[in-house]
Amino acid sequence: MLPLSTATFPNPTGLSSEKVFRFLVETVSDYAIFLLDPSGHITSWNIGAERLHGYKREEAIGRHFSIFYIPADLELDKPAIELRRAAAEGHFEEEGWRVRKDGSRFWANVLNTRILDENGTLIGFGKIIRDLTDHRLQDLRYRLLVEGVQDYAIFSMDPNGVVTSWNVGAERIKGYKPQEIIGKNFSTFYTPEDRASNLPKKVLQTAAREGRFAGEGWRVRKDGTYFWSNVVVTALRDEDGTLYGFSKVTRDMTERKRLLDAIQRHSQELELRVQEREETNAELEAFAYSVSHDLRAPLRAITGFAEALREDCAAGLDDLGRDYLNEITNAADRMNVLVKDLLDYGRVSRIDLPLTRVSLSEAVEKATKQLGDEHVGSLTVNVPAGLFVKAHLQILAQVILNLLTNAFKFHFKNAAPEVRVLAEASDGRVRLNVRDNGIGIAPQHQERIWQVFERLHEREEYPGSGIGLAIVKRAVGRMHGSYGVESEVGKGSTFWIELPQAQEPASNEKEGNE
Amino acid sequence: MNNEPVLLVEDDPADARLIQRAFAKLATAPAMIRLTNGDDVVSYLAGEPPYENRTSYPLPCVILLDIKLPRRSGFEVLQWVRRQPTALNRLPVIMLTSSRHSVDINRAYDLGANSYLTKPESGSQLDELATRFQSYWLGLNESPDLHGGVATIKREK
Repeated sequence: MLPLSTATFPNPTGLSSEKVFRFLVETVSDYAIFLLDPSGHITSWNIGAERLHGYKREEAIGRHFSIFYIPADLELDKPAIELRRAAAEGHFEEEGWRVRKDGSRFWANVLNTRILDENGTLIGFGKIIRDLTDHRLQDLRYRLLVEGVQDYAIFSMDPNGVVTSWNVGAERIKGYKPQEIIGKNFSTFYTPEDRASNLPKKVLQTAAREGRFAGEGWRVRKDGTYFWSNVVVTALRDEDGTLYGFSKVTRDMTERKRLLDAIQRHSQELELRVQEREETNAELEAFAYSVSHDLRAPLRAITGFAEALREDCAAGLDDLGRDYLNEITNAADRMNVLVKDLLDYGRVSRIDLPLTRVSLSEAVEKATKQLGDEHVGSLTVNVPAGLFVKAHLQILAQVILNLLTNAFKFHFKNAAPEVRVLAEASDGRVRLNVRDNGIGIAPQHQERIWQVFERLHEREEYPGSGIGLAIVKRAVGRMHGSYGVESEVGKGSTFWIELPQAQEPASNEKEGNE
Repeated sequence: MNNEPVLLVEDDPADARLIQRAFAKLATAPAMIRLTNGDDVVSYLAGEPPYENRTSYPLPCVILLDIKLPRRSGFEVLQWVRRQPTALNRLPVIMLTSSRHSVDINRAYDLGANSYLTKPESGSQLDELATRFQSYWLGLNESPDLHGGVATIKREK
């Protein structure tokens, strides 16, 4: 740009000579640099001026500098104002449209500096003009973009928070027209409480310190209504790092906030209800436990003294007396089973069930041992070893025992029961089927049988407390499994439970896992 | 066979009567003393009035102790026995209760119970319990010396 390297000078002191300086100015081509006399007529003209304005040196010298102005600015008498202000204030700077010799326009950055002689008398003006048309267009495009955004309030502020620009989105969201808000402080948008706690100032301080502030909160529209906003304030700094203002982007999140609040409220309500229910359940279960526990003491007395009577007073009892005694003993035995089942049910509900890797065949074996010898002959077990489930061994054994007891109980009076136990694994679940050749269950009863105290038969026909399957249901549920029955009246039933299959022992139990 | 009595601590009169009856049916029935609350047990073992006469109220060879008792619970009695600075703290204590609750079972052993039995549901089971109890605790088992000096092994507290 500056052909200094081609110029030769006698010695370094010559650099400060007027000749060198003039050479410099005249050869600068990116800036128009020229002098005006006090009345505004052009007295010098450099290469940059020639390039920018299109006038040759001889065409420009002597002309009034108002020839560069567009008609609208001439009407406002801008050239004269510029000279007056530069003369009074020392310099004048502005950006604006200027006209070339060929009538085309360019966006100019203009700096006008007054020149005084040693006595302080005005002898003219120096003008430096830069073509910023490209910047201007970019700026314009950007501004149009920002101004046209509807969904975001985008505005700028000076370092004190005074609004300096306002887009359509801001007008839409906050309700102010540009002329109503530009020049006012942005704290207007805050709630009285936030203003009282100095939040607007803190927001600017944070943005100035950290470059950016982001947050959500209630803001106030022009009409006084509140909206929930998501706000990002960014500090604007020039190349030197001097803060010259802030930009602020605000989104109206009221609808989203409302939905989120509603969701949160619902989940809290739900949590509360679940908690209440759990407490009630726990109390009920504790109650049932202690009731059934205390019921056993008088029961022991009834059975115990009935037997004592039978043994110690046999001589004084006739057949009828012994028959009555049997009724007492039978009733007490029945009640004992009932209380024990209730206790089991309560225990299955109450105790901690740590789930471990349990061998299904081990659980089945445990259950069949408790089943009683009279059934062993009619039971077929086909559970492959090496099938493992996530369960609680004792409880699983109890579940299987209950299913087996159930399967053996409901058989045709004239046919021997046959029960088969089968297991299979698929898709990470293990299913255990207990199949009988019994009386079956009508479809309309297949739901009910899982409820506590639910019985389908007369007590004399098939005795029982009606709790066995309820225990199955509760226990399987607590082991994250499922249960069900497939049955047809007269053709037997298949009761099944399904539990998560247990993985092989975790690899981290072995050394050097990858 | 041991000559010292068995101390039965049972507040339920029906249970106590049935247990005593089962023991009485044994061929050589052991002597049995019955107390109905925890405070009386402590007074009895400590030899406090009205139990200061050891001829009338000899130390038992074993206690059958219920958990749910008026005033002082079976656990508190057990704890009191084990904290005695005398040889009394060796006294075999066998819980006899209706609770099958694992919390109760573990607590009893934690406090130093020698055995934990649950009350049978039928008379024949109770007869069996009496028979086995006698043959084990009053027969096979060697009883410690409860009289005399301080125990050689100091227990904590």
